[in-house]
Amino acid sequence: MSAQHRPSSAAPTASQGPKAPIRLLEDIRRAGKTWAELAPRWGVSEPDPPWKTSLHATCECLSAAAVLPVLERRRAEDELGETLYCGTPAPEQQLLALAHTMLTRGLLSEEELARRIKEVRTRLVAS
Amino acid sequence: MANRETGNVLARFNVGDRVRVKDLPNLFYSRTQMYVRGVSGVIASRTYQSLVPEDEAWNRDEAQPQQFYIVRFRQKDLWEEYPFDNDTLQTELPEGWLEPATD
Amino acid sequence: MQSQHDHDHAHDANAAHRAAPMVDEISDFEVLEIAVRELAIEKGLFTADEHRRFTEWAESIGPAAGSRLVAKAWTDPAFKARLLADAVAACREIGLDWAEPTGTGTPSDYMEFRVLEDTPNLHHVIVCTLCSCYPRPVLGHSPYWYRSPNYRRRLVRWPRQVLAEFGLQLPPEVEIRVEDSNQKHRFMVLPMRPPGTEGWTEEQLAEIVTRDCMIGVALPRPDRKADDPRPVQPARRPVESTSANRAAG
Repeated sequence: MSAQHRPSSAAPTASQGPKAPIRLLEDIRRAGKTWAELAPRWGVSEPDPPWKTSLHATCECLSAAAVLPVLERRRAEDELGETLYCGTPAPEQQLLALAHTMLTRGLLSEEELARRIKEVRTRLVAS
Repeated sequence: MANRETGNVLARFNVGDRVRVKDLPNLFYSRTQMYVRGVSGVIASRTYQSLVPEDEAWNRDEAQPQQFYIVRFRQKDLWEEYPFDNDTLQTELPEGWLEPATD
Repeated sequence: MQSQHDHDHAHDANAAHRAAPMVDEISDFEVLEIAVRELAIEKGLFTADEHRRFTEWAESIGPAAGSRLVAKAWTDPAFKARLLADAVAACREIGLDWAEPTGTGTPSDYMEFRVLEDTPNLHHVIVCTLCSCYPRPVLGHSPYWYRSPNYRRRLVRWPRQVLAEFGLQLPPEVEIRVEDSNQKHRFMVLPMRPPGTEGWTEEQLAEIVTRDCMIGVALPRPDRKADDPRPVQPARRPVESTSANRAAG
């Protein structure tokens, strides 16, 4: 069995390795408001942020397409959840770990993700 | 040990058979936990036939499906100095990981 | 980095939408989730339609289906027999189809499902040491502690200690059977009906069958309709993937 048959053979773009901090995500981890902070401030009792099911669906789709199999995603979530993102609550931690894994596997680039984040924010503020 | 046909491949083991989990090297991807390797248990149930995860993970659809079994282990056999005699653990394993137990 | 933003005020003026408070503030995490999803779709990793189908499915599942299965099994012995013999078929009787949303289930919920019946001498508890396989069609999404390394790596090795941390202590003569769902089967526990529920309807019974009871970390009680909150703790004495300690990673 050669390495090219591995389900996710994309070369990592983060040169420091799969567990090194990624600046874009570090900014979000530090400055982002988690659901645990936002919900009580707005008097919302929902335990989970509205985007959680969409995040789960993204994970399912990546797994169904064999782009990022469940076991590999879960392993990355575990490793990153015990290291880089250990202080972040669960749904946000899972999101950071997914974005991190997609970046280190070259499924997304840091530049395009940063650009898209700006666009999405502009769109949401305008709406 | 009688072979019985279920589905497309012959199932080698029957409920009640004592089996030992082989201690095979990991080929990149396996769902056979380290903690059952080399340990003997009893077939609790014969389940379904499927590609083994080792083949499925690489999309090797042409590989031969295997019979899967739920195997019951005594916790005392899995862990040294486990203090409770009655406790058990069950997990599911493909036939290729099992061999008849000799102990 | 967050800012205030107004949702449609004309919309908010509608009485139907005034009742539930909402978070009217954009968070970086909300933005990140959208950005990742949009880029993945644009790159063709999956389609918007696939994502929509999985989202609808994810929003439709929850532990209520499992509670109904248990309550029905408690009140209808014939149903219980069918549930134990072929759980996937029994689920269809309450309108739950394991084939959703793709026709063959999801990438992590196959169509193999078994119900584990507790008896006075046998208590089941489920775990997935490898990842976090969970019977989502009947129980919804797994709670965070179920996915935590603390639970997954310790339950197989010290089940009684882990159960005690959940407040569940069982006498040594009761066999504790850990079911590690590391392959395609998904499992759910059928707990024993507690005393003090004589004459209750199926609906009343379903209310006390909480998610934790169907995982096996709690027992149903006539006075408890919700699970206690579970703080996620870091793994203490985890089982590691070394040959000396032989374990699940």
